Amino acid sequence: MNPRPVEPPRWADRLLEAFLAPHLLEDVQGDLHEVFYKRVDEVGATKARREYGWAAVQYVSPFFFKAFRRGPSPGIHESVEYVQLPFFHPDMIRNYLTVARRNLVRNKSYTTLNVFGLALSMACSILIFMMVSYHLSFDRFHANADRIYRIVTGTGAANALSSAGVYVPMGRVFRDEYTFAEKTGRVATNYGTTISIPGTRSTNKFREAIAFAEPEFLEIMSFPFVQGRPAALAEPDRVVITEAIGQKLFGDQNPVGKTIRLDNRMDVTVTGVLQNIPANTDRREEIYVSFANLKPYNDWFHEENWTGISGNMQCFVLLKPTVPVAEAEKAFTAISQKYIKDATERKNVFRLQPIADIHFNLNYDGRMDKTNLWALSLIGLLLIVTACVNFVNLATAQALKRAKEIGIRKVLGSERAQLFWQFIAETGIIAVFAMLVAVGVAYLLMPLLNQLFQIDLSIMINYQLVGFLVALTILVTLLSGSYPGLILAGFQPILALKGKLSQKHVGGFSIRRVLVVGQLAISQILIIGTIVITSQMRFSQQSDLGFNKNSVVLLPMPVQEAAKMSTLKSQFMQLPGVENVSFCMQAPASQAVNMTSVRFDNRDKDEDFLIRTKDADEAYMPTFDLKLVAGRNILHSDTTREFVINETAVKALGIKSPQEALGKILITSKGRRRGPIVGVMKDFFNNSFRGAIDPICLRANLGEYGNCAVKINLQSRRETLTSLEKIWNTSFPEFIYSYQFVDDQVAQFYALDELILKLIQFFAIIAISISCLGLFGMISFMAAQKTKEIGIRKALGAGVESIVWLFSKEFIQLTGIAVLVATPIAWWAMHRWLQDFVYKIGIEWWMFALSGTVALSIVLLTVSYQSVKAALVNPVKSLRSE
Amino acid sequence: MRRAFLGEFEEIVLLVVAACSDEAYGVTIWEEVQQQTGRSITMSAVHATLYRLEEKGYLASSMGGATAERGGRRKRFFTLTALGVRALNDIQEMRNRLWEAIPPGKFQLIGG
Repeated sequence: MNPRPVEPPRWADRLLEAFLAPHLLEDVQGDLHEVFYKRVDEVGATKARREYGWAAVQYVSPFFFKAFRRGPSPGIHESVEYVQLPFFHPDMIRNYLTVARRNLVRNKSYTTLNVFGLALSMACSILIFMMVSYHLSFDRFHANADRIYRIVTGTGAANALSSAGVYVPMGRVFRDEYTFAEKTGRVATNYGTTISIPGTRSTNKFREAIAFAEPEFLEIMSFPFVQGRPAALAEPDRVVITEAIGQKLFGDQNPVGKTIRLDNRMDVTVTGVLQNIPANTDRREEIYVSFANLKPYNDWFHEENWTGISGNMQCFVLLKPTVPVAEAEKAFTAISQKYIKDATERKNVFRLQPIADIHFNLNYDGRMDKTNLWALSLIGLLLIVTACVNFVNLATAQALKRAKEIGIRKVLGSERAQLFWQFIAETGIIAVFAMLVAVGVAYLLMPLLNQLFQIDLSIMINYQLVGFLVALTILVTLLSGSYPGLILAGFQPILALKGKLSQKHVGGFSIRRVLVVGQLAISQILIIGTIVITSQMRFSQQSDLGFNKNSVVLLPMPVQEAAKMSTLKSQFMQLPGVENVSFCMQAPASQAVNMTSVRFDNRDKDEDFLIRTKDADEAYMPTFDLKLVAGRNILHSDTTREFVINETAVKALGIKSPQEALGKILITSKGRRRGPIVGVMKDFFNNSFRGAIDPICLRANLGEYGNCAVKINLQSRRETLTSLEKIWNTSFPEFIYSYQFVDDQVAQFYALDELILKLIQFFAIIAISISCLGLFGMISFMAAQKTKEIGIRKALGAGVESIVWLFSKEFIQLTGIAVLVATPIAWWAMHRWLQDFVYKIGIEWWMFALSGTVALSIVLLTVSYQSVKAALVNPVKSLRSE
Repeated sequence: MRRAFLGEFEEIVLLVVAACSDEAYGVTIWEEVQQQTGRSITMSAVHATLYRLEEKGYLASSMGGATAERGGRRKRFFTLTALGVRALNDIQEMRNRLWEAIPPGKFQLIGG
């Protein structure tokens, strides 16, 4: 027979085969082909093919789809023939479901293990997905988010410092003199302002963060107004608040037109109400005051201040669509050359930080490290892989049991692809079932997770989540179903029916060994991670920071008046539990950073580095147990007369020994504060362990004493704290009392690390559980396989121990290999993590030994139950069956 | 027995099958329908109608022998069943009754 030169398009035939009821396929296709060949002669191959395709498409219609279900009606066609139904025929699908259900019910324990393992890992990935997408959504909701930038400052000086803040006038100049931006808006935040309503009782007061904002700021950001509009802030003494704040202050009354008092000294009128701030932004201020009120509120923020940067003074710009970022950044250099006189300040570099980067850039007070998110996603993926590995292991182990079924199906004419898809369908059922369980588990775990990680997530059914769930189910189905499916579908029917298939036909033990090793290695890496991070956290919490942080409480000082402060101090000192009282700006280690220029002795210009200032009184050193290495403490004064500097500052100034520094003049804050160095203190940690120790100077400066540090006796801490509160409240009735232990403040340095640790612990436990499920399944299978062997061994006199050993040996080997695989990976990952710390622990061998031991014990514990059970079986029973 | 109901297209297809001198199968029916109506009709519409008529019991079908020009596929030949013949007769009768009921001269009025 001559092969025809022209054929109808294959895809069209495929389409027909997929959609047409099989009893109709032959004649329909025949008719179409007949017409096709006729048309080839009439109009040529190309056109005929096109017509054929078009004609075939017409069969994708409800009528032919229904014909599918009805099938051939007996008695109308003269004979009912055996037809092979297409794969996705509803009857076939029903059949797959039936077969799957029977198989799953028959092997209840395997099904439970599988569903449980998959559900656990899926629940984790759902949670991880939600957490990651929550973080990635930060500040993306603003209408022009891709064009919104924040001006940030990097210092070119020796001790690099980056700040999210800029000079006060920077934004104004950029707006007035350049045309790169559509809008430029400044915003200055004050955390912890006392808010009250004039004319009401003094108890109705709150401490809130307030932001002094230009109207443009609220135009750039898309925080929707309920009442009023951004222009409301154009005039002084105006305030815009959120609905939540309105509710808090005025109940159900309309807040517009009402007056709010800030820090008991400035009245502003509500002219606008914002909707509540969404959870996924880091700009959490809910009270926006006119920018014109900033200078009266705090004189430092005046429009000519080019001498320093505060992280609280930030500037946002909405660039014009056509302006490249680099172009706009050039303007900042020009501005700083034009306006900044001081050489040190001029070394600052200004950049535009995209708003989407704000949440992630730790250099500029970001809250989350993106690497952590990717690491988290990777862990989620690994968990899924682990669970799929279990599935593959169990399914291939099971495969032999189904050899007869497969053999019969093949003999009856099932094709390889059909068997494969049948198995995938079976896996799909398990996956869908596991997914349902997982959603339930995730839903139940959500409140726990929120509490644990101090976030506010909720399961919101959006298209992203639904898409993720569908994709995850498909991924799991394919990952876990394809390999066993291929193995099953590949069985030789003759061997299968004769029962001559053996382990080597189902991929043997070696592939499963590899999978188990991979699984154990993943758990191993997570355990090592937990150990290393815990050690580093403990190191940072328990190391001697060079100052006393345990028994010092910080109380806010709302006013800085010498008389009031000295009265307060003497009242505190009379309390039996109080050991010392110092007024200061901050604790020795603090996230708030104050840097200033420094000039030493008779040198003709400022030093190349900035010095960190600790403004405090003479009681500071004894209160925090700071040690002197030379000279003496400062004497009492309300303004700076003399300095104590630390050893790092001595080195940075290039002086040989502390003794040499004594008596030399130091000039800080652009010449405004000068005096002799009277002492040198021992270095203490003033940063988290991520940062190096800064050069520091201690100086008196009454106007900056925002805190009162009280060293208390921990034995009577409760009574002392109560008394402190009482005295404080009588001294400052119109303000709100709060207190914080210094060690809690220090702990905040590591809040993110704490979070990562919790996550890793959580997922390590999950990963271990999943591996254990897998091991449990495997050992049960092995035990079932080796029943006879054990029987014979026992009959020949083998003891229980030797049989338990027979099983354990294998798993000990596997664990050993897993440790070898995991060690370098874990070392590398943890080494990378530790790189962020200037002061860190070393990674030591015992960490790996410990995690290996932990893993081994868990493995042995898991396998012991089954292996002991197998070893104890009476050999008469197991051998009689032959 | 339920009243015969036939759609317009079904009726045409049924008539075409009845009118075929040789054995009728998909392609011949399709071509004939197009020729008689002067409309362009898709093959799938003809097939769908044929199968529907078969289900309703107006047509019966049987598979013929394999033919080379169809890639070895067999033809399905359609023939009218007794029910089909009666359905066509019923319709014809009803039409006749209606035609006869038209008062004489009416057509001239309408047409004129």
